[in-house]
Amino acid sequence: MSLNISDLVNEDASLISRRCWSDEGVYALEKRGIFGKSWLFLGHESQIRAPGDFVQAYMCETPIIVSRGQDGGIYANINSCTHRGLPVCRADHGNTKRFVCPYHNWSYSVEGNLMTIPQESEVVRKPDKTQLGLKRVPRVESWRGMIFGSFDEAIIPLDEYLGDMRFYLDAFFDRFPAGIEFMGAPHRWVINANWKLPVENQLGDVNHGAFLHSAIIPIEAQQLIEKLGHSVVTTPGHGATFRLMPENTPVDDVAWGMEAVGSIFGGDEVQNYLREIQTQAHERVGDLRSRMKGLTYGIYPNLSFLWSNTSFKVSHPRGPGKVEYWSWAVVPADAPDNIKKILRTNYSSFFGPAGILEQEDSEVWAQQFLGSNIDFADDRPYYYGLGLGEEKPHPDMPGLVSVTANEFYARHFFTRWKKELQAAEGPL
Amino acid sequence: MSALSIEVTPEQQRQLERFYFHEARLLDNRQYLQWLTLLSEDVRYIIPSRVNVQVNNRARGQEDMISVEHELEGEDSMGCPHREEGYILLMLRAERAYKINSWSENPPARTRRIVGNIELMEHSSDTLSVLSNFHLYYARPGSDNILYSGQRRDTLLSQADGFRIVRREVVLDYAAIEVPTLGLFF
Repeated sequence: MSLNISDLVNEDASLISRRCWSDEGVYALEKRGIFGKSWLFLGHESQIRAPGDFVQAYMCETPIIVSRGQDGGIYANINSCTHRGLPVCRADHGNTKRFVCPYHNWSYSVEGNLMTIPQESEVVRKPDKTQLGLKRVPRVESWRGMIFGSFDEAIIPLDEYLGDMRFYLDAFFDRFPAGIEFMGAPHRWVINANWKLPVENQLGDVNHGAFLHSAIIPIEAQQLIEKLGHSVVTTPGHGATFRLMPENTPVDDVAWGMEAVGSIFGGDEVQNYLREIQTQAHERVGDLRSRMKGLTYGIYPNLSFLWSNTSFKVSHPRGPGKVEYWSWAVVPADAPDNIKKILRTNYSSFFGPAGILEQEDSEVWAQQFLGSNIDFADDRPYYYGLGLGEEKPHPDMPGLVSVTANEFYARHFFTRWKKELQAAEGPL
Repeated sequence: MSALSIEVTPEQQRQLERFYFHEARLLDNRQYLQWLTLLSEDVRYIIPSRVNVQVNNRARGQEDMISVEHELEGEDSMGCPHREEGYILLMLRAERAYKINSWSENPPARTRRIVGNIELMEHSSDTLSVLSNFHLYYARPGSDNILYSGQRRDTLLSQADGFRIVRREVVLDYAAIEVPTLGLFF
């Protein structure tokens, strides 16, 4: 079946075709037009502190090794031997001098350069090893310790790509003098869903909470979200939601982490730690941002940050109907170990594969994919029109701002998505 | 973990089996509130995450090179276990099952647990360390049929009216997590 991209998303993106979520041809275009052209999240510098340290990552379905070179630089290479294509790294993380292919033992340096070909000595004409390293991701840049890579050599600098999202990201990052760190290997959860729905969920859809999660989230908390909640789109595809607490809100009602299980079970020690961070927030991030009590963030195309339960997540596609959803617990880098161990449960108890809340999200994501595949319903695209045109600039905050029920975050995402797919259309 | 289990009398073994079979039946019958009564109030319920680790070259030739323990990011690690729960969170999960708006359990999954390989590893006064294996068949309406497999490392407290679970660590046998949830009672 041939598809016309302009038929999938209408003019104001208030109607989204079911095929956006389920069509193989659309997915092939997404790979080329979006995952081949964007900055994609690879990991955090806290995971690769020492020369030789490495972690695995993905750029869409392409396996990547992210490593700290002997020169202290950060390298990203495709995890596939130049000789026969096998992965040269099998561990989730570690420290090494060489990546070795099991098939014929071609070996690569931690920077991805081909070092030895064991068979070389037996042949007369030696291959030019300088041309046969692992395929390097052409652009790798970091911001606040977050490492991104792009297959597009001509892409704009990462700083510029993140744009005004940095204002909102710093509302979190800048609270911590030593920054943040990721704890351990990511939880890698395979869900039978399209990659865009977890992204949309974290980009701005906090309003499903009152309904899907009503068995767990108290109604009072949800009412407060509706009352104080702001939804922001800085650049189409990037967005943030947060509660903006009134001036003179008591520390305990605004402090990051105070509403989560870690502070409840962690007692005075954890609570005093969280209060101390909040007390310094005014000075570190300014009055307005010190009153932000974040909910969800999204960075186009597939990185999410859940402030309230402090987790980074990446939605790695595995075809139109499958996603490998990675998530990490995130903690302040200079927190004492015992406090880090308590704070990680803010994430793991409620999100990730064992999370009390996210088991409900993953369920609806999978059900949405089923609904996106049914026949005789193509004249019933999904309705994305809530709050159409109601978002406005804000005097004190960058981007377009609105109430959380406004679905503009998703409309902006799909407007960008459509444009990028159209640019990629043409013979494969 | 290489030690042989403690030599037990058939009666002692039967007592442990009776406890575990009863527990499995309660869970399969969705009687989670009754299951909670099998827990000690200071219970710890842990599911380590499972990592693909780099082989330590210096350990080659030794069993330790591929020890399961290296793959586990548990409570004491600086990684991130899947679950580190006490009674309150377990109670939250149990009670959630009886709410009409617990959408991922509506309709509820059909489960069958087979518990075996029950080994008493340590026994001191009223405290027992017990290993057991399980297969948990999980059929979810509108979704897949799934087999969970794993080992339970329990600490039980022996009381006049039966055992209480003081600690349970569940080692799940997964490569990728291709199940709808790790939030079940294993």
